[in-house]
Amino acid sequence: MTEFLAFFKTLTPTGYLFLLLTALTVISAMGVVTARNPIYSVLALIATFFCLSGHYILLNAQFLAAVNIIVYAGAIMVLFLFTIMFLNLRREDEEAKTNLTKIASVIVGGTLMVMLIMIFRAKSSQLPVGSTVGFEPNTGMVENLGHLLYGSYILPFELASVLFLIAMVGAVMLGKREAGDRHF
Amino acid sequence: MALPILLTKGLIILVIFGISLLIATYSTYAERKVAAFLQDRIGPNRAGPWGLLQPIADAGKLFFKEDFIPSQASKWLFILGPSLAMFTALMSSAVIPFGDSIRFAWDNVNYDVNVQGIEINIGVLYIFGVVSLGVYGVMVGGWASNNKFSLLGAIRAASQNISYEIALGLSMIAILMMTGSLSVRQIVNEQATFFEWNVFTQPLGFIIFLTCSFAECNRTPFDLPECETELVGGYHTEYSSMKLGLYLFSEYINMFVSSAFISALYFGGFHYPFMNEVNGALEKSMGAVTGHNLATAIGFLVFFGKILFFIFFFMWVRWTLPRFRYDQLMNLGWKIFIPLSILNVVVTGAGLLYDFKYSSWLIVVVMTVLAVMSQAKAPKQQVVPQRTV
Amino acid sequence: MFPIVLLSVFAVVLLFLGFLKSRSVLLPATLLFLVAALVANFLDWNKTYLYFNSMLRTDNLSMVFTAIVLLSSFLVVALSGSFEDDEAAQPAEYYAIILFSLVGAIMMIGYENLVMLFVGVEILSVAMYILTGSDKRNLRSNEAALKYFLMGAFATGIMLFGMALLYGASGSFTLAGIASYASHAQQGLSLIFYVGLLMLLVGLLFKVSAAPFHFWTPDVYDGAPTIFTAYMSTVVKTAGFAALLHLLAASFTYVYSFWGIILAVVTAITLIAGNVTAVYQNSFKRMMAYSSISHAGYLLIGLAALSAQSRQAIVFYSLAYSIATISAFGVLMLVTRQRGMQTLSSNPLSNESFDAFNGLAKQNPLLGLAMATSMLSLAGIPLTAGFWGKFYMFSTAVERGQIWLLVVAVLMSAVGIYYYFRVIIAMYFRDGATEPIRISPVFRYVLVAAIILTIGLGVAPGLLQGLF
Repeated sequence: MTEFLAFFKTLTPTGYLFLLLTALTVISAMGVVTARNPIYSVLALIATFFCLSGHYILLNAQFLAAVNIIVYAGAIMVLFLFTIMFLNLRREDEEAKTNLTKIASVIVGGTLMVMLIMIFRAKSSQLPVGSTVGFEPNTGMVENLGHLLYGSYILPFELASVLFLIAMVGAVMLGKREAGDRHF
Repeated sequence: MALPILLTKGLIILVIFGISLLIATYSTYAERKVAAFLQDRIGPNRAGPWGLLQPIADAGKLFFKEDFIPSQASKWLFILGPSLAMFTALMSSAVIPFGDSIRFAWDNVNYDVNVQGIEINIGVLYIFGVVSLGVYGVMVGGWASNNKFSLLGAIRAASQNISYEIALGLSMIAILMMTGSLSVRQIVNEQATFFEWNVFTQPLGFIIFLTCSFAECNRTPFDLPECETELVGGYHTEYSSMKLGLYLFSEYINMFVSSAFISALYFGGFHYPFMNEVNGALEKSMGAVTGHNLATAIGFLVFFGKILFFIFFFMWVRWTLPRFRYDQLMNLGWKIFIPLSILNVVVTGAGLLYDFKYSSWLIVVVMTVLAVMSQAKAPKQQVVPQRTV
Repeated sequence: MFPIVLLSVFAVVLLFLGFLKSRSVLLPATLLFLVAALVANFLDWNKTYLYFNSMLRTDNLSMVFTAIVLLSSFLVVALSGSFEDDEAAQPAEYYAIILFSLVGAIMMIGYENLVMLFVGVEILSVAMYILTGSDKRNLRSNEAALKYFLMGAFATGIMLFGMALLYGASGSFTLAGIASYASHAQQGLSLIFYVGLLMLLVGLLFKVSAAPFHFWTPDVYDGAPTIFTAYMSTVVKTAGFAALLHLLAASFTYVYSFWGIILAVVTAITLIAGNVTAVYQNSFKRMMAYSSISHAGYLLIGLAALSAQSRQAIVFYSLAYSIATISAFGVLMLVTRQRGMQTLSSNPLSNESFDAFNGLAKQNPLLGLAMATSMLSLAGIPLTAGFWGKFYMFSTAVERGQIWLLVVAVLMSAVGIYYYFRVIIAMYFRDGATEPIRISPVFRYVLVAAIILTIGLGVAPGLLQGLF
């Protein structure tokens, strides 16, 4: 316990912020999977994205933080919410899960957790420890990111446009109303 | 950071916060006055001189009305909806540069503090992110009401916001290409000379941006989420009391922020013609500190003049143009604005390659010519003589 | 590099060709584009280039893999003539997506940087999700697309997580950087390096439908339109194995002791699961899905052994497998359509069963011959390409001394002979009411070419050996 308190005393304000954000992230991420109502689940996911953006800002990656909010919280999750609202899943249907599947999943998940904890306890000395010595605080700034994207990573960056084009063509192809289809 | 800077900064933030609330409050009054003017009426004139206390009376009314939550509604989300709307609306004014800087001497050192909530190098993205979050308030509230009309309003709001965000972002990209920075202050400072205001270099982008901000604020002619002829009250059908008040209020704050953003991005922000000369004269005659602060104050007032004009413009349009139909709205967004703004980005980029800033006019000229030609080609409306029986 | 640029441009051109009223332009145009890409591919022959800050590499091996992928898609596209008659089909989009997806496949073959691998895998996978669901009115197609998409998205997520962990351990996305980190294996590597490698492997093994991650394969291959099943089971598999081979050979040879045994176990499970389950299938298409799982197992033998011969073995095997699979699916398409017209039953289940092939060879000797050749090749009977493919694979295992794996593989190929011969027996020794099936000239050429290639490579396997 005293060890614990001593650890807290060594923290900087940023450290406290990190712990707070981490706790919030984990809590809202748990909310995503435990919420019965899908709408609450989506809202919890949005909260998770916010917390992750907070982490990005702590790492001084402002561009990533803003883009994370714009793309995930601002666009993708709106569409999620949109779809779920259309489906109108308000009756909190209990999914058909037998006790057997529940027990099985608990056993499998529990085994995995125990294994992970054991491995990390045994090998924690091998985990890389981040050091602030080589840390370049401007790495996440938009200028540096731009130089990187349009410099050494230009080829994957441009080829990602093929990915978007393919997704777009597919979405139009699959979503196009055919003759005789209903107007929902 | 020195304590005085921190204090000044805090003061500035408080002032900005207060001013946005004040302007939003009086926008409600202005809206009714403008409507009255455009419809040849008098408008509110009972509460106080010229009805100036009307907003306070309205607020009092909203506070004392019965606060009603529908029985089948999901209670927490029902409360969360208006709070979110207000929250996101208030967040966005943080990065707008309202003026140059306030200068003061401390320990014989001159400190300059920007008249701005916070200067970050991704200001444009910040605003874009906050704007894209604005729709959650409407969606959550509309869904939580457990009312078909509310839900339809919410869904309309979501699809409308997403559709117009794309064109909004693309028209901003043209500006970012010209400035080479994501900081709003930098963008404002790039427009120091009058003819380099972005409205002159980016006329098409300006028109697209303006229209899209109408759609993002859910203002007429794009106020389909609350279209009363089809949806009763839209997403806030079930709301009453101050919760309704928060929704309405957030709309006015959004309008204020949009106006400020339009002024900053396209109309030079706190810049005005001959600003450097005025600043120089002031600093010479009144000293570096007082003169500079006075110059900043003038810039601040000029910026607010621009903002107020755009708020008036929002109202002017509302009481002049009828509402779009939903398919027209979607067609306009997806089939006209997005291709046009992509074209704008391409043409701007091509112009910048040859160091020519005004290339966007090319599209405007071509479009005007095409429009005139198609008008000339169109069959003239024949005046059919009335047949007398 | 050239094929990537060409294919991206051609695909966009194809999308615009879709505006034309006449659909008959599309097929020849696509074939022409593929041939152009194939020619452009060999421009750099015998030279090794690194493009764009070592993002992409072209050497003889990558060019051969690219050629195999392009050849398979050429054959598949040539067999896709039926789109012209189908009113609901959108051939311009299909062909454009195929060309785009080939960009992803080539990226997977020649990547030097994990970012390129990820983008390539995503391009190929997204294209496959779309093509799987392209038969919009068919519920099974929709179901298959949704299943494939959900599982594939998870697999991609796991793969990406693995890449992130590898980056965290080694500080580099490049294969060379990771290899130089892994070369310190004696001093002990970070734990997250191994976890990352494992997750990356899981993601890629999912894409090639190796055993514990193969559950999507039967439903997806069964539900997708047959022509796209043929594409999926050949191009995706070849590209996936090229990616795995390059990854393991370039970066992880130092930690072979870690992943070698894992891959060997995965191989054994894949072989057993694929072959044994295939025996119980009544639908030919479903049997082919399981057979593709089992072939993933044979290809994995070369990876698990990773010896000097592995490259040749994998190249040869994937070529033999691709040709045989495409011609088998081509015959299946003809038979299914014929049966559908004859019995007027639109139930695809009965049209794709083994019984549909009863007596096929008597009236349609060419179809019978093509099917028989490809079945023999898939089963690995001598004088077909498949035999030499299996032979090379098994010899890599011997080289590495994995005798137990070899025993499993030989036993399983014996099981394979059983279900491949069911088709041949149905065609030649059963009676069925089949009429002569009208075969379009393109179809005929493709089938004849497939027969010649299969037997030619079976008689003279050295033809391909000399290439690199």
